[in-house]
Amino acid sequence: MADSVLEVRNICKKYGSRVAVDDLSFDVLQGEVFGLLGPNGAGKTSTIRILMDIFKADSGEVELLGGLPGQSRERVGYLPEERGLYRDQRVLEVLVYLGRLKGVDGAKARNRALELLARVELEEWGGKRVKELSRGMQHKVQFVACLIHDPELLILDEPFQGLDPVNVEMIKGLMRSLVSEGKTIVLSAHQMNLVEELCDRILLIDDGKALLYGSLKEIKRDFAPNSVRVQAADLPVDLPGVVASERQGDVTLLTLEGIGAQEFLAGLVAHDVQVESFERAAVPLNDIFVAMVQGNTTPPQGSLSTAEKAKAR
Amino acid sequence: MKKVLTIARHEYWVNVRRPDFIIFTSLVPLLGIVALAVSLIFGRQAGGAIVRMFDGGTEVTAVVDQSGGFTPLLPRFEEEFVPYSNEAEARTALEDDEVQRVVVVPNTYPREGDVTVVTEGSRFSGSGTRGLRSFFIAHLIKEIEDKTLQARLIDPYDARVEYVGEQAQASGGVAGEILSVMVPFFFGILLAVTIFVSSGYLVRSVAEEKSSRVIEIVLSSVTPQQLLAGKVIGLGALGLTQILVWIASTAGLSGGLVLLAGIVLPLLLRWEVFVLALVFYILGFGVYAVLIAAIGTLGSSFQESQQITGIFIFVAAVPMMLTGVIMTDPNAMVVRVLSWFPLTAPTTMMLRLPLAAVPWTDVAGSIVLLLVTIPAVVWFGAKVFRLGMLMYGKRPGALEIVRLLRHA
Repeated sequence: MADSVLEVRNICKKYGSRVAVDDLSFDVLQGEVFGLLGPNGAGKTSTIRILMDIFKADSGEVELLGGLPGQSRERVGYLPEERGLYRDQRVLEVLVYLGRLKGVDGAKARNRALELLARVELEEWGGKRVKELSRGMQHKVQFVACLIHDPELLILDEPFQGLDPVNVEMIKGLMRSLVSEGKTIVLSAHQMNLVEELCDRILLIDDGKALLYGSLKEIKRDFAPNSVRVQAADLPVDLPGVVASERQGDVTLLTLEGIGAQEFLAGLVAHDVQVESFERAAVPLNDIFVAMVQGNTTPPQGSLSTAEKAKAR
Repeated sequence: MKKVLTIARHEYWVNVRRPDFIIFTSLVPLLGIVALAVSLIFGRQAGGAIVRMFDGGTEVTAVVDQSGGFTPLLPRFEEEFVPYSNEAEARTALEDDEVQRVVVVPNTYPREGDVTVVTEGSRFSGSGTRGLRSFFIAHLIKEIEDKTLQARLIDPYDARVEYVGEQAQASGGVAGEILSVMVPFFFGILLAVTIFVSSGYLVRSVAEEKSSRVIEIVLSSVTPQQLLAGKVIGLGALGLTQILVWIASTAGLSGGLVLLAGIVLPLLLRWEVFVLALVFYILGFGVYAVLIAAIGTLGSSFQESQQITGIFIFVAAVPMMLTGVIMTDPNAMVVRVLSWFPLTAPTTMMLRLPLAAVPWTDVAGSIVLLLVTIPAVVWFGAKVFRLGMLMYGKRPGALEIVRLLRHA
């Protein structure tokens, strides 16, 4: 198992009588994309601000890159949800300043800024004032700002906000290449399709508490209904274990009972059915998110225990 | 510390290039240049008009000499004095504004010394008899052959006064004495004004960082204390730059003479006042700037931040409003009390020091009090700053702030 770059143990944060973060524990592993998910007001931003040492936790412990939060500001890149830039200053000037605040010397920060601006196709905008840039461009510059010091860990709060599909693809590509360079990313986003695409593991929180925690694949498998999608030329109607079937174009969604997918596939083969495609029906993360947050479902045994384990540690 | 300096340098360079800073800083040199231009373009006329406006010295006097002692007029008085044969004619000339004053010397003058002056000038300006003394003496002594005696009668002595008492530092006669009080006094006012001006820049800088949402990115790189310290140092330096530009431009426009004679000498002659004023400037700026920057973060816009910080500016400005009291009695009880209150101490002392020998207990006491206040203000300020910077939307009420601060 990879080393943890971030270990959070039982952190709590209250604002007056309102509990923002309630006994939260989780780990982020080296080289992964970790999704921090939750509805608005769930406590994500408060949690992130505690990680960044902008807020202090009332109780609990955080170990970030082997030290206390705030001890390794130079090694962490942070893109806050509430973000902006000095509007009256020039793009390059702002980037160099933010780089210097991260401890990078001026010339190096400048070179790095130029290189990154080229990567997000803004190389010609370095000399322009920030206010002359479109919103989307400003978002990309903000993204560049959090990479200027070549951080090991990136904490990205809603990085896709305000971006068009082309730029979303660009940022996604950039994130993938950062991960391939060995960086770790903590991603907080509301676009569940993007989270599904990018994240290895997730933590879903609501009201400051952990609802789901663990590998995205495992969680999806745990939540998956016992159903399969089959495409076959001639599917018999009286297959054993099938309690419902629904045609979806060429594919038939079969809900099973008392039989596993593997066993059902063996049965199809035994019945000499010409199977063209066969897959376990997965449930979209979006549905899991909505169901969990609305309290329509309880976490399946596996995910619950993962979350419970995280809390118990 | 490196980050603090990076912030300070950034704040300084960003603000020093702002159009409003440049305009405000250029005001003093510009006014000087305008004054120079006026005197160059309009030459003596304009100069004369200005001098007359303030001085009234070039008025023309009609002389009705019935005693015969003033006829003919001595050549050097011909420009300002015109002989008239009778009083009625002279009064008409006065009404027609050809002359500004009529002096009637009756034939009883040699014995009685009685003279009638008719003038349109006000009683207050003292224009009734101005310049008459030398006119009369010159004519009375014109018969004396001995030129040296003549000169001595006109100007009996040229005194070089040597002061040996406690107030002996001032030199250069009466003007020097006045300068040695007034220059440090205005220097104090200038420093006090700079505190307010720099604090204004500080409020704006904080409000802008907050409203543009850049603050959270910055706070992920530095601590609130570092950010606060960097801003205070950078913008404090900006205020000092303004003063230096003003002093330098005054010196430049006057060929260095005013600087040397008018500012540096009096300041150097009373160097302890100069040093103490600087100490109070730095301490005062420390207290106000931190407070204002921190409180300023609670507003949701620049205007709102300005309103909230206005109350502190007002408290700090109280001594300026009491300048009259301070000038009359620099050691009055109310002044002493203000010197012992951290928020008013810097401005009070800056105004008070040049005017009198301030008891050393007051000086030491207020310095110690400020030194104790600053860490408290920094601690409190960083807390408010951390809270206020990330609080968007509605401005919190006082109670809510207190409640939130307990958890910040």
